[in-house]
Amino acid sequence: MEDVAGIFVGALAIVVLFIGLPWLIFHYITRWKTAATLTTDDEKLMEELYDLARRLDDRMCSIERIMTAENPNWRAVACDPAATGIEDLTASTHAAKRIGQ
Amino acid sequence: MTARHTKFYLDKQNGKFMGVCAGIADYTGVDVTLVRVGTVLLTVLGSGMTIIAYLVVGWIAPKKPRELRDETPEQTKFWQGVRASPARTVRDVRSRFRDIDRRLAEVETYVTSSNSRLAREIEQLR
Repeated sequence: MEDVAGIFVGALAIVVLFIGLPWLIFHYITRWKTAATLTTDDEKLMEELYDLARRLDDRMCSIERIMTAENPNWRAVACDPAATGIEDLTASTHAAKRIGQ
Repeated sequence: MTARHTKFYLDKQNGKFMGVCAGIADYTGVDVTLVRVGTVLLTVLGSGMTIIAYLVVGWIAPKKPRELRDETPEQTKFWQGVRASPARTVRDVRSRFRDIDRRLAEVETYVTSSNSRLAREIEQLR
């Protein structure tokens, strides 16, 4: 009885060591290889987009500064649909008066 | 072969011994002192594996290429973010573009509406 149990445990150990373990390792190796990684092109693209965003941001800031210097409440005029006055003549004159103040 | 930003390099300039700790700090964005203290603690508390790992890394890992050495702090931070999570960096850049789009739309609305207003005022003056 003892011998049978010993053989069984030994067989189990061999199976785990020589089939289970490599299986586990290769499973994670394939997983790791298929995982998305950044290529050189991706890196370049990322850098370019980041730079572009930064430059556009700077330009946008300077334009907004110029607009604010010209007309401090331009933002309110642009956001308020009634004040845009594209459709409505009275609304547009109203907005023009408000700007004139 | 251009220098890659997402690889691990030894940072010999800021390093004390082989530049492994400084390289780890540069790669992850964690403070150098913290990395060094962590390494020493691991060595003292654990087995001597840290020393072997340190020497192996210091021997195998390449030095930091010249063109990567003179980058601005902002660039360093950006690439640390990319290494930590590329997806988050992409989302950040996208949100920046969206922000720019929104602000540009505001300016456009103002300019077009004020132009039409100006045209109407000229009409009225006639």
